[in-house]
Amino acid sequence: MYLNYLANIARYIPELILVALMAGLLILETTYREDEKNKKYIFIGGLIGLVVALASLVANFSGKSETIFSQSMIIDPFSTLMKIIMVLGTIGVFYLSRISKDIYESLKTEFIVMAVGILIGGMILASANNMLMIYIGVETLSILSYVMASFKKNDERSSEAGLKYALYGGLSAGIMLFGMSHIFGVLGTIQFSGMAVNLLKLNQAQMLILMPSFILFFVGIGYKIAAVPFHMWSPDVYEGSPTPVTAFFAIVPKIAGISALARIGFIFFTAATPMRASWILLLMAVASLTMTVGNVTAIGQKSVKRMLAYSSISHAGIMLCGLVVINDIGVRAITFYGITYLFMTLVAFYIVSIVQDKYGNDHFDRFTGLAYRYPFMAVVMTIVMFSLTGLPPLAGFVAKFNIINALLNSHFYTLAIILALNSVVSAYYYLKIVRLMTLKQQESNEVIEGFGFLNQFIIIVMTAPILVLGVFWENIMMLANGAKIFFQ
Amino acid sequence: MSIYYYLSAFLFCLGLIGTILKKDLISMLLCIELMLGGVALLFILFSKSTGFIDSQLMVIFMMIISACEVAIGLSLIIALYRNKQTIYTDEIKIITE
Repeated sequence: MYLNYLANIARYIPELILVALMAGLLILETTYREDEKNKKYIFIGGLIGLVVALASLVANFSGKSETIFSQSMIIDPFSTLMKIIMVLGTIGVFYLSRISKDIYESLKTEFIVMAVGILIGGMILASANNMLMIYIGVETLSILSYVMASFKKNDERSSEAGLKYALYGGLSAGIMLFGMSHIFGVLGTIQFSGMAVNLLKLNQAQMLILMPSFILFFVGIGYKIAAVPFHMWSPDVYEGSPTPVTAFFAIVPKIAGISALARIGFIFFTAATPMRASWILLLMAVASLTMTVGNVTAIGQKSVKRMLAYSSISHAGIMLCGLVVINDIGVRAITFYGITYLFMTLVAFYIVSIVQDKYGNDHFDRFTGLAYRYPFMAVVMTIVMFSLTGLPPLAGFVAKFNIINALLNSHFYTLAIILALNSVVSAYYYLKIVRLMTLKQQESNEVIEGFGFLNQFIIIVMTAPILVLGVFWENIMMLANGAKIFFQ
Repeated sequence: MSIYYYLSAFLFCLGLIGTILKKDLISMLLCIELMLGGVALLFILFSKSTGFIDSQLMVIFMMIISACEVAIGLSLIIALYRNKQTIYTDEIKIITE
């Protein structure tokens, strides 16, 4: 029994590497003198650690699915894939934090340490198999995020954003726990496997207690992915925090929350019960609200970063659509969406960050005439914006197509129509940037330093998957076809 | 249902309402703690009534994590106070819609 417990560690190596990395980076930072500016070994060490963790995740990918640590964690292809997305996102954000001027030079190392911590929280959430692990995952994500959001210590906006995040976070964690306690009271266990068994044996009165409890439980995770009734914090936090932090928040917590929700849906609501109907209704309402509110508010924004923040809310809504259909097609669509969303968001934030570093703000006007100064970058930005809108033949189109396909397969016609209409609305503000870049004459001929050869190269490397996945997606989906994604 | 259920639900609601209505940040943090206290009591109550001890585990972790949360919350309040010299929510709204 105890030996089994220890043997499980072999399946938990990626997380252990990251924990060791976080501790190691903290120790490494103390070896620097206080006035040392360029702490490049921490950056290099962090990058190496992440790549090693990524390699070990990929090596684990095809291993058999199993539960570890007395069924508290689950290791299966789905969780591994979500972790790979999160690690890739963190690697991208690391480099962005290195070149960005938005973070104080002296805090860049702290950013790297904390990003690794948040990544660990996200990984716990992605493979959580009981309520305690969900709670620990959410809080590990949150507590470090509060600090990260208020990174610009001397900036009022940044510290206000962090505090707002902390208060909303504390409130939603409390509500989530209230729901969890009632779920435990009815089902008598915190293990998902045991809960799923007990769920089928309930009487009418117990179900009536359980339905609102699951809604309360949803609040905690819905808050992390900024689903709409709980999204109030996110535009402020996204605008107030430095750009690399915003990019990080747009990727890692969202992917982690979505994967936790996918697992909850799969474990509890595969059998046709009244509970399943109420869960689907909840997700449908939240998804359509999230898409619509995110898109409609994004239209009126002046700052590109804030626009991207709202658009990331609406993208979370689209991923929630894939969760409404609780079947394999939906999950495959979500994972594909997650991968494309990762690359699109990273490239968009890279370009916005570099332009913002040059001009001090990121209003739409700053992109005027970029096509004449940096044609390459304008082309890349256009590709990303087209892909975010969902125009063929780019990856964003395929991702949206897969989600609509999953919806239509399970006869959710209303939701599919809302999704399609939202794509049309989103075209307005995405294509606005393209219009400004190409159709307007340039105002000045200034050189943007960030667009050096290396940075341009890295941006183009990250754009390549958007093109490749858009054309050759069929083969990739065929590979995933029939694969057992979930451990059941 | 025992009286403890009503007590913990009362504590939770008190915390929830307090967090929404209160205007100064320290009280808001305290109200969040009150909320978590109510939930912890609820977990212990359910542990007694169902006979399973899983939820007592939850309570221990909740206490640790809420302590971390308060520490972070207070340090963020200090950071904000250094910039704005106030902890009242009415006076610190900077980010506009």
